[in-house]
Amino acid sequence: MKGPWRDWREWREWTPNPRPADDTSAFQEHRNRLQLRIVLLITRFTPRCPEVVRLLSLGMDKPLALSTRLKLRIHYLMCSFCERYAKQLKYMRTTAHEFPDKIGEVSDAKLPADIRKRMKDALKSDL
Amino acid sequence: MSLRPGGLDDEFETVSAPSAASSKNANDPALWVDEHGDVLYRYALARVRKPDVAQDLVQETLLAAMRARDRFAGQSSVRSWLCGILKHKLCDYYRKLGRETSFTDLEFLADECSEKFVPEGFWVHMTGPKEWRPEPDEVMHREDFWQTMKDCLSKLPERVATVFMMREMDDVESKEICAILAISENNLWVMLHRARMGLRECLALNWFENPAVHR
Repeated sequence: MKGPWRDWREWREWTPNPRPADDTSAFQEHRNRLQLRIVLLITRFTPRCPEVVRLLSLGMDKPLALSTRLKLRIHYLMCSFCERYAKQLKYMRTTAHEFPDKIGEVSDAKLPADIRKRMKDALKSDL
Repeated sequence: MSLRPGGLDDEFETVSAPSAASSKNANDPALWVDEHGDVLYRYALARVRKPDVAQDLVQETLLAAMRARDRFAGQSSVRSWLCGILKHKLCDYYRKLGRETSFTDLEFLADECSEKFVPEGFWVHMTGPKEWRPEPDEVMHREDFWQTMKDCLSKLPERVATVFMMREMDDVESKEICAILAISENNLWVMLHRARMGLRECLALNWFENPAVHR
């Protein structure tokens, strides 16, 4: 819907993080100036997306400071991309963990016959 | 045993082979090659990428398993026991690799990341992460997903993929990976970050956002 409350879009050439259509974060579109102020405030006090993404990966390997975790939470309010990224890191962890069990089904590599024989001989001579 | 006539021995073979195959194979290392060799080889190949190294690792695994087969208590399947040994062998191999070569790989993805973000430091909206469907427990049964995962892992630079797989598949703590590969923690984190970034991108493009994949 077009309306006067959307005029800020024409005043500014670029605004941080206009939302994608399937967005779920709290400040979905910057519908009014108050919400835009909040988003701008958040961008001033929380790291930008490339840094957030780096911190998220770091958080998979060591515990982050409470202040950092809070900043990430606040960042999610205006950035569902980073929130999704965090979810997808966990998604990859869960699935990658099962990968060794599944590789036998999706790969068609076979031990060459001569190698197979070499192994059997090695096993027999060691028996 | 030595008193038993040869004929009986043959009979024993033919009778027991079909019926009690699994329990017998656990005690017969020569049969492991045919029964588990390919699976071990496929896993080793995904991890080290060089066929000759993978073959050696499988052979070492089977030899080590044979020497230790008295200690195999049979709580788990033979295959998962062998996979566990293979993981140890992989660790030994990486340890050697870390000693012999410098294991850091910091050039990869320096520019590729930047095109995901606008200069102000936000995601480019058309290419930012989209929701991943279906949930992991459903995706576990999808063969085409694992195929994509395998292809994506093989597209990552080898050393970056190695640290990722050690961390996420073998559950090695980051401090331990640093010790095994003789790299600094900072380098490890950079490499893991790049692996995750690259793998996420590849999985999204080829599976989660691929219109040809039926989800």
